[in-house]
Amino acid sequence: MTDTPDYKAESPAREAWRMFRRNVPALVGMVILAFIVLATLYGTFFYSGDPYDVVWAPHEAPGVTPEYPLGTDYLGRDIMAGMLTGGGPTLAVGAAAAAITMVIGIALGSLAGFYGGWIDNLLMRITEFFQVLPALLFAMVLVTLFEPSLWTIAIAIGVVSWPQTARLTRAEFLRIKELEYVTAARAIGARNMRIMWKVILPNAMPPLIVSATLTIGIAILFEAGLSFLGLGDPNVMSWGLMIGANRDYILDAWWPVTFPGLAIFFTVFAVSLIGDGLNDAFNPKLRER
Amino acid sequence: MSSSYILRRVGYGLILMLGVVVLNFLLIRLAPGDPAVVIAGEMGGASDEMLASIREEYGLNKPVITQLGIYVGNVLQGDLGKSFFFDQPVSSLIGQRIGATILLVITAQILSILLGVFLGVIAARKPNGVMSGFVSVFATIGYAVPVFWTGIMLIILFASVLPIFPVEGMQSVRLRSAGGLTWALDVAHHLVLPAFTLAIIYLAQYARLSRASMLEVLGSDYIRTARAKGAAEKTVLFKHALRNAALPILTVAGLQFGNLISGALLVETVFNWPGMGRLAFDSILRRDYPTIMGVLFFASAMVVVANILTDISYRWADPRLRGKS
Amino acid sequence: MTALLDINDLRVTFNTRYGQVTALDGVSLHVNAGETLGVVGESGCGKSITALATMGLIPSPPGRIAGGSIRLDGEELVGARPSRLRAMRGADIAMIFQEPMTSLNPVFTVGDQIAEAIMLHQKVSHDQALKDAVALLDRVGIPSPKARVHDYPHQLSGGMRQRVMIAMAVSCRPKVLIADEPTTALDVTVQAQIFDLLNEIQRDFGAAIVLITHDMGAISEMADRVAVMYAGRIIEEARADDVLDFPQHPYARGLIDCIPALGREDHALKEIPGVVPPLHLLGAGCAFAERCEHANERCRREKPLLVNHDHHPAACHAVEEGRI
Repeated sequence: MTDTPDYKAESPAREAWRMFRRNVPALVGMVILAFIVLATLYGTFFYSGDPYDVVWAPHEAPGVTPEYPLGTDYLGRDIMAGMLTGGGPTLAVGAAAAAITMVIGIALGSLAGFYGGWIDNLLMRITEFFQVLPALLFAMVLVTLFEPSLWTIAIAIGVVSWPQTARLTRAEFLRIKELEYVTAARAIGARNMRIMWKVILPNAMPPLIVSATLTIGIAILFEAGLSFLGLGDPNVMSWGLMIGANRDYILDAWWPVTFPGLAIFFTVFAVSLIGDGLNDAFNPKLRER
Repeated sequence: MSSSYILRRVGYGLILMLGVVVLNFLLIRLAPGDPAVVIAGEMGGASDEMLASIREEYGLNKPVITQLGIYVGNVLQGDLGKSFFFDQPVSSLIGQRIGATILLVITAQILSILLGVFLGVIAARKPNGVMSGFVSVFATIGYAVPVFWTGIMLIILFASVLPIFPVEGMQSVRLRSAGGLTWALDVAHHLVLPAFTLAIIYLAQYARLSRASMLEVLGSDYIRTARAKGAAEKTVLFKHALRNAALPILTVAGLQFGNLISGALLVETVFNWPGMGRLAFDSILRRDYPTIMGVLFFASAMVVVANILTDISYRWADPRLRGKS
Repeated sequence: MTALLDINDLRVTFNTRYGQVTALDGVSLHVNAGETLGVVGESGCGKSITALATMGLIPSPPGRIAGGSIRLDGEELVGARPSRLRAMRGADIAMIFQEPMTSLNPVFTVGDQIAEAIMLHQKVSHDQALKDAVALLDRVGIPSPKARVHDYPHQLSGGMRQRVMIAMAVSCRPKVLIADEPTTALDVTVQAQIFDLLNEIQRDFGAAIVLITHDMGAISEMADRVAVMYAGRIIEEARADDVLDFPQHPYARGLIDCIPALGREDHALKEIPGVVPPLHLLGAGCAFAERCEHANERCRREKPLLVNHDHHPAACHAVEEGRI
């Protein structure tokens, strides 16, 4: 079959955005995520309440008392208040951890891919070493050793998650540095730093953006897992903590664990729909699969 | 495949494990506070004699490099220190529990690969069919569900609505002394929910991966050759295509092993499964560092072993790599 | 006498994102036992689709045989049961592909792959099939076949792999052997060897060969008859000498002019301007009109039919009207 080339030239970013806009699941993801972010940012303006306050009888079922639409937990604390305040730390830690992951991963991966030789060898051995450590266990150890706070949790998640980003960055740098425009940049005497950051990195961005999106999802799951185990910041209510606190009473009341779990699920689900959408948008060829 | 390759691979694995030991050592030293107090853990104020004996055993009064030597030497002799909370050597604490973890992790791994690949192959037959859509949606959902929450939801379901599987522990109290087949069946019965909970995330990922991998392979020239020979569709799919599509699946299965152990940690906590994850959780709550470090060591060792096995089987499965270094 | 392979008015359509396109538009071909038919044309003209349709291997969806007939030894293949087609594929009609590097399965030995082809159609043991595979490898000129039979494809050169493909294709002594650009991916010296081998095989096995190529040199060396294809249609058909010496259709003339001939006065090679038009953009007129210096209004309006002219059949208004 002869395939006609599209004659209209379009910048890759524009084309990606056009593809992304047409991707229904990705748009659904955007809507879900926007709703969750808005609810955690502004929800308390419309629905105030301290998630730590015991306000009512324990284990009030959802929908029974209008003041507490999602019911109360084993102590009689308002679940709706927990839902609205518990998302903030989860999202913040997720975003911060993903940022830390990307910074470490891109820095090490680009050095390894660009310079090759012993630098590549050393950095890849370090990467392999970090991949041997089971991430959640390692993060648990780090958090316990260095006192849990939102920052230590974000850093711990970043420290255990970067190897995959580093490998991806390295592979992209290895691929791109052989291309003509990099040779051209070298030929006009551009310095290594300039070639790395101004020439190669922008062209490596599409897969890295997809990876960053998926990293946010993984980081949110991580934070939820740590909080669930009781290793989160004890002074901050979060969805994972709500599940962990109520898990001894799940057979008495399903709602205190179900709603925060759904919130985590929908957040990660939305993020990964967006990630898949970006992936499709950057790789139009794969869409036909 | 050359045995020198296997030896080299094992040697590299041992170096990685040495790295884990050094990391453990550094972590304790980097933690804020007196290392002796850190090692003693939160025993509600360790006695001076106890701290002194810890300093003696770990050589904490000597230079740091000597301390490292002592620590590495102890580990080499199988001495991972002593848990002051459990009042037992760490190695025996872990020895009692590592089997349960291995059972859970391996079962989940096999379950997820078999089911995932099967779903993926079926979906790949019709890239735009119902099954393909299901696999894509299921994969995205499976990826997004917190594993501990899946476990809790299954406990609620199977404890109250459909009580056919036990939701806690590894064996029934009344069968504790039973032997042989009864015991094995009882453990298998208890294993169903934890293994399924753990498998579901990876099952979804393997389904998606094997669908993509199969689609790529099915478009290749040698599949057309197989059809041109007159091979039946089943042969084309499961012999010619799957043997090639399995290669990336094998790679991912090796890489996922560390994540699987992380997941097992949460699943063991939820289902009260008496493995290393449960032990890690208990010891972290008590800041029982020798035990935590021991768990980290053994869990990493499991990943190293899994990686070596993956590399070896990959070389076996791909003739193009045999005989190369 | 009916031909061994007789393709009549074959139509194949594909569903694409531009809508349904007609990849083959009424193709008729035949080839007799022991004969070699050359099918020539640029890439995208429908040569390979014709081959795949004959093998019953049109990827469906998106493709589909929309009409016409393909008869092998009198038996209709269009609409035949899949199991019947499967039994004939590899046994009565076999195919050699363009890319020997990728047409063999990388994870099985070449011996196993040849043996599989034998065992699919004959009731023999694996041991016997492997022995046959050794004999076949020997027959196609692979040195030390007993050792090579245990090799994996990546251990062989491109020429050797194409010999393996040929061995596999002739393993069940097919009546018709379709060779789709069998030498395009190979070095020039190896190309000649493969053509020699195909000629020998044909002598020994008596198979009819359909040689698909864009290389007129290969045609002059191999083919008894030639069919020239353009945009899914046959536009000229005749004995190989006739087409080479007296091409009628302007496209066929262009193809002949592309051959670098020794001793020809003008050493500058001619090129046919333009490219094969995308199938979804084909209009009502002659598909070649856009690239043809002789095209007039009628050419752009009305599709020429394949009719007999002075020498042999060609589908061209200009030839019919005596303008060229």
